[in-house]
Amino acid sequence: MDWSEQRYWEDVEEGAEVPAVAFPLSVYRLVVEAGANRDFNSIHHQSEYARASGAPEMYANTGFLLGMWERTVREFIGLHGSIRHIDGFRMRRFNTVGTTVVVRGRVKSKRRDDGDALVDLEVWSELEDDITVGPGVVTVELPVRS
Amino acid sequence: MSEDWRAAWRPVVDAVGGDFGDGEAIEGADAVDASALRRFLEPLEFDCPLHQEGGLAPLSSYFTFVAPPIWQPGGAAVFTSDERDAQPDGVGQRRFLTGLEPPYTGYFAADFELQPLLPVLVGDRLTRTGRKLVGCELKETSVGRGAFMTWEWEARNQRDEVVARFRNTMYVYNGPED
Repeated sequence: MDWSEQRYWEDVEEGAEVPAVAFPLSVYRLVVEAGANRDFNSIHHQSEYARASGAPEMYANTGFLLGMWERTVREFIGLHGSIRHIDGFRMRRFNTVGTTVVVRGRVKSKRRDDGDALVDLEVWSELEDDITVGPGVVTVELPVRS
Repeated sequence: MSEDWRAAWRPVVDAVGGDFGDGEAIEGADAVDASALRRFLEPLEFDCPLHQEGGLAPLSSYFTFVAPPIWQPGGAAVFTSDERDAQPDGVGQRRFLTGLEPPYTGYFAADFELQPLLPVLVGDRLTRTGRKLVGCELKETSVGRGAFMTWEWEARNQRDEVVARFRNTMYVYNGPED
Protein backbone atom coordinates (compact mmCIF):
# COMPACT_ATOMS: atom_id res chain seq x y z
CA MET A 1 0.00 0.00 0.00
CA ASP A 2 1.39 3.36 -1.04
CA TRP A 3 0.22 5.75 1.67
CA SER A 4 1.70 8.77 -0.14
CA GLU A 5 -1.22 8.68 -2.57
CA GLN A 6 -4.31 10.62 -1.50
CA ARG A 7 -7.81 10.35 -2.95
CA TYR A 8 -9.79 13.61 -3.03
CA TRP A 9 -13.53 14.16 -2.93
CA GLU A 10 -13.50 15.48 -6.49
CA ASP A 11 -11.86 12.24 -7.70
CA VAL A 12 -14.66 10.01 -6.46
CA GLU A 13 -17.46 8.96 -8.77
CA GLU A 14 -20.70 7.30 -7.73
CA GLY A 15 -20.62 3.60 -8.59
CA ALA A 16 -16.82 3.40 -8.48
CA GLU A 17 -15.39 0.30 -6.82
CA VAL A 18 -13.50 0.30 -3.58
CA PRO A 19 -10.52 -2.02 -4.16
CA ALA A 20 -11.15 -5.40 -2.55
CA VAL A 21 -8.98 -6.76 0.26
CA ALA A 22 -8.74 -10.50 0.98
CA PHE A 23 -8.29 -11.98 4.46
CA PRO A 24 -7.48 -15.73 4.49
CA LEU A 25 -8.63 -17.24 7.79
CA SER A 26 -6.39 -19.87 9.37
CA VAL A 27 -6.48 -21.14 12.95
CA TYR A 28 -3.18 -19.37 13.52
CA ARG A 29 -4.58 -16.03 12.41
CA LEU A 30 -7.73 -16.38 14.51
CA VAL A 31 -5.63 -17.15 17.59
CA VAL A 32 -3.39 -14.14 16.97
CA GLU A 33 -6.54 -12.06 16.53
CA ALA A 34 -8.05 -13.25 19.83
CA GLY A 35 -4.90 -12.18 21.65
CA ALA A 36 -4.82 -8.89 19.79
CA ASN A 37 -8.38 -7.74 20.32
CA ARG A 38 -9.12 -9.55 23.60
CA ASP A 39 -12.20 -11.38 22.36
CA PHE A 40 -11.38 -14.72 23.95
CA ASN A 41 -14.77 -16.33 23.40
CA SER A 42 -13.91 -19.93 22.52
CA ILE A 43 -16.27 -19.90 19.55
CA HIS A 44 -13.57 -17.87 17.78
CA HIS A 45 -10.63 -20.22 18.27
CA GLN A 46 -11.88 -23.69 19.07
CA SER A 47 -13.74 -25.89 16.60
CA GLU A 48 -15.52 -28.20 19.06
CA TYR A 49 -16.73 -25.30 21.16
CA ALA A 50 -17.97 -23.43 18.09
CA ARG A 51 -19.80 -26.50 16.77
CA ALA A 52 -21.48 -27.07 20.12
CA SER A 53 -22.88 -23.55 19.84
CA GLY A 54 -24.46 -24.33 16.47
CA ALA A 55 -21.80 -22.82 14.20
CA PRO A 56 -20.17 -25.02 11.54
CA GLU A 57 -16.62 -24.12 12.70
CA MET A 58 -14.68 -21.52 14.68
CA TYR A 59 -15.26 -18.13 13.13
CA ALA A 60 -13.88 -14.60 12.99
CA ASN A 61 -15.00 -12.28 15.80
CA THR A 62 -16.71 -8.91 15.45
CA GLY A 63 -13.62 -6.80 16.06
CA PHE A 64 -11.69 -8.71 13.42
CA LEU A 65 -14.46 -8.35 10.85
CA LEU A 66 -14.85 -4.65 11.63
CA GLY A 67 -11.09 -4.22 11.34
CA MET A 68 -11.25 -5.76 7.88
CA TRP A 69 -13.78 -3.10 6.86
CA GLU A 70 -11.70 -0.35 8.44
CA ARG A 71 -8.52 -1.40 6.65
CA THR A 72 -10.36 -1.63 3.31
CA VAL A 73 -11.96 1.79 3.76
CA ARG A 74 -8.77 3.41 5.10
CA GLU A 75 -6.81 2.21 2.08
CA PHE A 76 -9.46 3.90 -0.09
CA ILE A 77 -9.68 7.23 1.76
CA GLY A 78 -5.97 7.61 2.51
CA LEU A 79 -4.30 9.35 5.41
CA HIS A 80 -6.30 12.57 5.10
CA GLY A 81 -9.71 10.97 4.95
CA SER A 82 -11.75 10.21 8.04
CA ILE A 83 -14.48 7.73 8.90
CA ARG A 84 -17.58 9.52 10.18
CA HIS A 85 -20.07 6.70 10.67
CA ILE A 86 -20.44 2.94 10.26
CA ASP A 87 -23.90 1.46 9.91
CA GLY A 88 -25.41 -1.79 8.66
CA PHE A 89 -22.55 -3.95 9.85
CA ARG A 90 -24.83 -6.99 9.94
CA MET A 91 -23.19 -10.38 10.39
CA ARG A 92 -25.37 -12.69 8.32
CA ARG A 93 -23.21 -15.80 8.15
CA PHE A 94 -20.30 -17.20 10.10
CA ASN A 95 -16.92 -16.28 8.61
CA THR A 96 -15.34 -19.62 9.34
CA VAL A 97 -11.77 -20.84 9.52
CA GLY A 98 -10.42 -22.36 6.31
CA THR A 99 -12.01 -19.73 4.08
CA THR A 100 -11.01 -16.35 2.69
CA VAL A 101 -13.10 -13.30 3.53
CA VAL A 102 -13.03 -10.67 0.80
CA VAL A 103 -14.15 -7.14 1.70
CA ARG A 104 -15.55 -5.17 -1.21
CA GLY A 105 -17.25 -1.84 -1.65
CA ARG A 106 -18.51 0.79 -4.00
CA VAL A 107 -19.23 4.49 -3.88
CA LYS A 108 -22.92 4.82 -3.14
CA SER A 109 -23.22 8.61 -3.13
CA LYS A 110 -21.32 11.82 -2.44
CA ARG A 111 -22.43 15.16 -1.09
CA ARG A 112 -21.35 18.39 0.56
CA ASP A 113 -22.84 18.94 3.99
CA ASP A 114 -22.16 22.25 5.71
CA GLY A 115 -18.71 22.38 4.15
CA ASP A 116 -17.88 18.73 4.77
CA ALA A 117 -17.06 16.68 1.68
CA LEU A 118 -18.78 13.38 2.41
CA VAL A 119 -18.97 10.07 0.60
CA ASP A 120 -21.17 7.11 1.45
CA LEU A 121 -19.44 3.83 0.72
CA GLU A 122 -21.44 0.63 0.49
CA VAL A 123 -19.25 -2.05 2.03
CA TRP A 124 -19.69 -5.78 2.47
CA SER A 125 -17.76 -8.97 3.21
CA GLU A 126 -18.00 -12.04 1.00
CA LEU A 127 -17.24 -15.72 1.28
CA GLU A 128 -17.44 -17.64 -1.98
CA ASP A 129 -19.63 -14.89 -3.49
CA ASP A 130 -22.10 -14.96 -0.58
CA ILE A 131 -22.37 -11.82 1.50
CA THR A 132 -21.50 -12.61 5.11
CA VAL A 133 -21.38 -9.10 6.58
CA GLY A 134 -23.40 -6.10 5.42
CA PRO A 135 -23.91 -4.54 3.03
CA GLY A 136 -23.49 -1.57 5.28
CA VAL A 137 -22.74 2.08 4.76
CA VAL A 138 -19.51 3.69 5.86
CA THR A 139 -19.69 7.47 5.65
CA VAL A 140 -16.31 9.09 5.10
CA GLU A 141 -15.00 12.59 4.74
CA LEU A 142 -12.40 13.26 2.06
CA PRO A 143 -10.17 16.28 1.52
CA VAL A 144 -11.06 18.66 -1.31
CA ARG A 145 -8.54 19.87 -3.87
CA SER A 146 -9.41 23.52 -3.35
CA MET B 1 -46.32 -25.63 23.33
CA SER B 2 -44.08 -24.46 20.50
CA GLU B 3 -44.77 -20.84 21.43
CA ASP B 4 -43.73 -21.29 25.08
CA TRP B 5 -40.24 -20.09 24.27
CA ARG B 6 -41.69 -16.78 23.14
CA ALA B 7 -43.56 -16.35 26.42
CA ALA B 8 -40.31 -16.96 28.29
CA TRP B 9 -38.82 -13.91 26.57
CA ARG B 10 -41.76 -11.65 27.46
CA PRO B 11 -40.04 -9.99 30.46
CA VAL B 12 -37.15 -8.98 28.22
CA VAL B 13 -39.45 -7.59 25.54
CA ASP B 14 -41.23 -5.60 28.25
CA ALA B 15 -37.89 -4.25 29.46
CA VAL B 16 -37.08 -2.50 26.19
CA GLY B 17 -36.23 1.12 26.92
CA GLY B 18 -34.49 0.37 30.20
CA ASP B 19 -30.85 1.11 31.00
CA PHE B 20 -29.14 -1.92 32.54
CA GLY B 21 -25.78 -0.26 33.02
CA ASP B 22 -26.67 0.77 36.59
CA GLY B 23 -24.50 3.84 36.15
CA GLU B 24 -21.41 1.65 36.08
CA ALA B 25 -18.35 2.74 34.12
CA ILE B 26 -16.49 -0.37 33.01
CA GLU B 27 -12.82 0.45 32.56
CA GLY B 28 -10.90 -1.32 29.85
CA ALA B 29 -8.13 -3.67 30.94
CA ASP B 30 -5.41 -1.83 29.07
CA ALA B 31 -4.63 1.76 28.22
CA VAL B 32 -4.15 2.61 24.57
CA ASP B 33 -0.43 2.17 24.04
CA ALA B 34 1.86 1.58 21.10
CA SER B 35 2.31 -2.12 21.86
CA ALA B 36 -1.41 -2.78 22.08
CA LEU B 37 -1.96 -0.94 18.80
CA ARG B 38 0.79 -2.91 17.08
CA ARG B 39 -0.71 -6.19 18.29
CA PHE B 40 -4.17 -5.09 17.15
CA LEU B 41 -2.97 -4.21 13.66
CA GLU B 42 -0.83 -7.34 13.17
CA PRO B 43 -3.49 -9.94 12.26
CA LEU B 44 -5.16 -7.37 10.01
CA GLU B 45 -1.86 -6.70 8.22
CA PHE B 46 -2.89 -3.07 8.52
CA ASP B 47 0.12 -0.85 7.89
CA CYS B 48 -1.51 2.59 7.98
CA PRO B 49 0.99 5.08 9.44
CA LEU B 50 -1.79 6.90 11.31
CA HIS B 51 -2.07 3.83 13.52
CA GLN B 52 1.39 2.28 13.26
CA GLU B 53 3.31 5.48 13.89
CA GLY B 54 0.85 8.27 14.62
CA GLY B 55 -0.66 6.83 17.77
CA LEU B 56 -4.24 6.95 16.49
CA ALA B 57 -6.35 3.99 17.58
CA PRO B 58 -8.39 2.37 14.80
CA LEU B 59 -12.15 2.65 15.32
CA SER B 60 -12.34 -1.13 15.24
CA SER B 61 -10.10 -1.29 18.30
CA TYR B 62 -12.48 0.61 20.61
CA PHE B 63 -14.19 -2.66 21.56
CA THR B 64 -10.76 -3.95 22.60
CA PHE B 65 -9.91 -0.96 24.75
CA VAL B 66 -13.20 -1.08 26.66
CA ALA B 67 -12.85 -4.82 27.31
CA PRO B 68 -12.51 -5.38 31.06
CA PRO B 69 -9.79 -7.59 32.51
CA ILE B 70 -10.49 -11.29 32.96
CA TRP B 71 -8.68 -11.15 36.32
CA GLN B 72 -7.10 -8.32 38.24
CA PRO B 73 -4.82 -8.04 41.29
CA GLY B 74 -6.71 -8.50 44.51
CA GLY B 75 -9.53 -10.30 42.77
CA ALA B 76 -10.56 -13.90 43.29
CA ALA B 77 -9.03 -16.58 41.09
CA VAL B 78 -10.99 -17.08 37.87
CA PHE B 79 -9.08 -19.99 36.33
CA THR B 80 -10.45 -22.49 38.80
CA SER B 81 -11.05 -25.55 36.64
CA ASP B 82 -8.77 -27.84 34.67
CA GLU B 83 -11.66 -29.05 32.56
CA ARG B 84 -10.55 -28.77 28.94
CA ASP B 85 -13.23 -26.32 27.84
CA ALA B 86 -13.69 -24.50 31.13
CA GLN B 87 -14.29 -20.78 30.85
CA PRO B 88 -12.90 -18.39 33.46
CA ASP B 89 -15.29 -17.59 36.30
CA GLY B 90 -17.36 -14.48 35.78
CA VAL B 91 -16.58 -14.24 32.09
CA GLY B 92 -20.17 -13.53 31.15
CA GLN B 93 -20.98 -11.06 33.88
CA ARG B 94 -20.59 -7.95 31.78
CA ARG B 95 -22.22 -9.25 28.66
CA PHE B 96 -25.04 -7.33 27.09
CA LEU B 97 -27.82 -8.99 29.07
CA THR B 98 -30.69 -7.84 31.27
CA GLY B 99 -30.69 -10.73 33.72
CA LEU B 100 -34.28 -11.42 32.69
CA GLU B 101 -33.42 -13.80 29.85
CA PRO B 102 -34.63 -17.41 29.93
CA PRO B 103 -31.83 -20.02 30.03
CA TYR B 104 -29.67 -19.81 26.93
CA THR B 105 -26.86 -21.81 25.40
CA GLY B 106 -25.38 -19.36 22.91
CA TYR B 107 -24.64 -15.68 22.47
CA PHE B 108 -23.07 -13.88 19.54
CA ALA B 109 -22.90 -10.45 17.92
CA ALA B 110 -25.18 -9.90 14.93
CA ASP B 111 -25.22 -6.23 14.05
CA PHE B 112 -23.21 -3.15 14.81
CA GLU B 113 -23.30 0.62 14.36
CA LEU B 114 -20.56 3.05 15.36
CA GLN B 115 -20.40 6.82 15.43
CA PRO B 116 -16.94 8.13 16.30
CA LEU B 117 -16.95 11.56 17.96
CA LEU B 118 -13.36 12.15 19.11
CA PRO B 119 -10.04 10.55 18.18
CA VAL B 120 -8.59 7.98 20.56
CA LEU B 121 -4.82 8.28 20.95
CA VAL B 122 -1.93 6.56 22.66
CA GLY B 123 -2.16 7.44 26.35
CA ASP B 124 -5.95 7.39 26.45
CA ARG B 125 -7.86 4.99 28.63
CA LEU B 126 -11.41 4.05 27.70
CA THR B 127 -14.44 3.07 29.71
CA ARG B 128 -17.80 1.74 28.62
CA THR B 129 -20.84 3.53 30.02
CA GLY B 130 -24.57 2.99 29.61
CA ARG B 131 -26.26 -0.20 28.53
CA LYS B 132 -29.69 0.71 27.22
CA LEU B 133 -31.87 -2.00 25.72
CA VAL B 134 -33.54 -0.45 22.68
CA GLY B 135 -34.91 -3.52 20.91
CA CYS B 136 -35.74 -7.19 21.40
CA GLU B 137 -36.85 -9.19 18.39
CA LEU B 138 -37.70 -12.84 18.95
CA LYS B 139 -36.58 -15.17 16.20
CA GLU B 140 -35.96 -18.82 15.46
CA THR B 141 -32.77 -19.31 13.43
CA SER B 142 -30.63 -22.19 12.22
CA VAL B 143 -28.80 -22.29 15.56
CA GLY B 144 -31.76 -22.04 17.92
CA ARG B 145 -34.59 -19.97 19.34
CA GLY B 146 -33.94 -16.67 21.02
CA ALA B 147 -33.86 -12.94 20.73
CA PHE B 148 -31.92 -10.31 18.84
CA MET B 149 -31.31 -7.77 21.58
CA THR B 150 -30.20 -4.30 20.51
CA TRP B 151 -28.22 -2.12 22.89
CA GLU B 152 -26.89 1.44 22.95
CA TRP B 153 -23.82 2.49 24.90
CA GLU B 154 -20.90 4.90 24.84
CA ALA B 155 -17.14 4.82 25.15
CA ARG B 156 -15.52 7.61 27.18
CA ASN B 157 -11.92 8.62 27.66
CA GLN B 158 -10.10 9.50 30.91
CA ARG B 159 -11.44 13.07 30.65
CA ASP B 160 -15.00 11.68 30.65
CA GLU B 161 -15.46 12.81 27.05
CA VAL B 162 -17.65 10.60 24.87
CA VAL B 163 -15.36 9.33 22.10
CA ALA B 164 -17.91 7.13 20.32
CA ARG B 165 -21.50 5.95 20.44
CA PHE B 166 -22.37 2.35 19.71
CA ARG B 167 -25.46 0.38 18.87
CA ASN B 168 -25.04 -3.35 18.74
CA THR B 169 -27.32 -6.35 18.42
CA MET B 170 -26.60 -9.64 20.14
CA TYR B 171 -28.40 -12.90 19.41
CA VAL B 172 -29.05 -14.81 22.62
CA TYR B 173 -30.46 -18.25 21.98
CA ASN B 174 -31.14 -21.71 23.17
CA GLY B 175 -29.85 -24.35 20.80
CA PRO B 176 -31.97 -27.31 19.70
CA GLU B 177 -32.16 -30.12 22.26
CA ASP B 178 -30.32 -33.32 21.43
